[in-house]
Amino acid sequence: MKPLEPINKLLKEQRDILCQEWLKEVMLQWRQLYPNLLSEHELRDQSFKLLDELARSLVAHSDNESAEIKVSDELSNIIRNMSVHRAKLGFKVADTALYILTLKNVLTKSLMQGAGRNTSELTASLIAIDDMLDQLSIMIFDSFISAREEIITQQSLSIQELSTPVIRLWDQILLLPLVGVIDTMRARQFTENLLVAISRYEATVTVVDVTGVPVFDTSVARHIMKTVDAAQLLGSRVIMTGISPEGALTLTKLGLNFSATICRSTLKAGVAEALQMIGKCIINTKELK
Amino acid sequence: MKIPILKLGRILLASIQVDLSDEDALQFQGELLQEIAKIEALGVAIDITSMDVVDSFMARVINDTASMARLLGAEVIVSGVQPYVAMTLVEMGRELIGADCAFNLEQALNMLKSRIASRGDMQLEQDNTHE
Repeated sequence: MKPLEPINKLLKEQRDILCQEWLKEVMLQWRQLYPNLLSEHELRDQSFKLLDELARSLVAHSDNESAEIKVSDELSNIIRNMSVHRAKLGFKVADTALYILTLKNVLTKSLMQGAGRNTSELTASLIAIDDMLDQLSIMIFDSFISAREEIITQQSLSIQELSTPVIRLWDQILLLPLVGVIDTMRARQFTENLLVAISRYEATVTVVDVTGVPVFDTSVARHIMKTVDAAQLLGSRVIMTGISPEGALTLTKLGLNFSATICRSTLKAGVAEALQMIGKCIINTKELK
Repeated sequence: MKIPILKLGRILLASIQVDLSDEDALQFQGELLQEIAKIEALGVAIDITSMDVVDSFMARVINDTASMARLLGAEVIVSGVQPYVAMTLVEMGRELIGADCAFNLEQALNMLKSRIASRGDMQLEQDNTHE
């Protein structure tokens, strides 16, 4: 008997029982870890399809010693889709691989139960099944990681897009709200954006708000200094707002000279100062009547 | 030795009347900064009338405190530098006290008030008092 034949027979005869047992094990684990992310119905459909494809693949390779799964096979397609889907839901890679590893356990167990006295045949079958499901596990890892990487690339792109807006507050006033950790790349990007905006709108005043910058270390301070210097070189006056006491301590300890810069405690005070510089102010309209 | 920090509206007043140890000086610096940030102070007057000796460390602390307070959006005036202190500081290097100085506390407060009055955010203060 060929080594793949007993597996094939097993799948043909006991598909439903196997699937039941397999899903029971998987759900037991997943329900604890991801109680809100599971759709049992969907999982069942998917698993049946997977077993069917597995059986088909076994038939196709029934003359060989073991089955090799190609990337173009429907089976690998199902596995990849499943893995990518789990990755997007936030599953851990080990928990995703559990799906196939559990199937291996279940299949091995039933093979051992149904086996006759011929141990060499059983061993051959076990090796074949091991080989096949190992290929599937590797596929799971592979597609899971590439899906994750895709998500990460996308996210870092969107962070870059979102993080450095230059806001035109009034005719000659620009606002640069800095949020989050500032690294060299972001610093260069927002400096560039700011300088372009200053020359385009002929801004005489620029308000740089650093309320949202959590840590003021040496490099962050230097980056901000450079931005401020560059803006002043273009002829725009700079108002810094929202520096924390710790930030002030760091900046002074670094010996950076902020004498050309006006500092205000809050964005509100900074905006008022900027408006005064261009000869405007905010008034209470109720008093006018 | 704790230096009391007095609050006059949105002006803070700190009078250093004894010789401070280095730790005390740094503690005073920290407390003043926290207080400035807490009340969003518009002005700070540091009075050193009673200090007969100002060493280079103390001068540096005063100078640093002044620039930190400026970063937090407050105007800073140092008042009451004694003649001998002034001479020593000049010998050691004028930049030791880079902040603006006034003759006495009264002059310092007047200077602060006129500077604060010319600031843009005073417009908003008037709004607030009407609410």
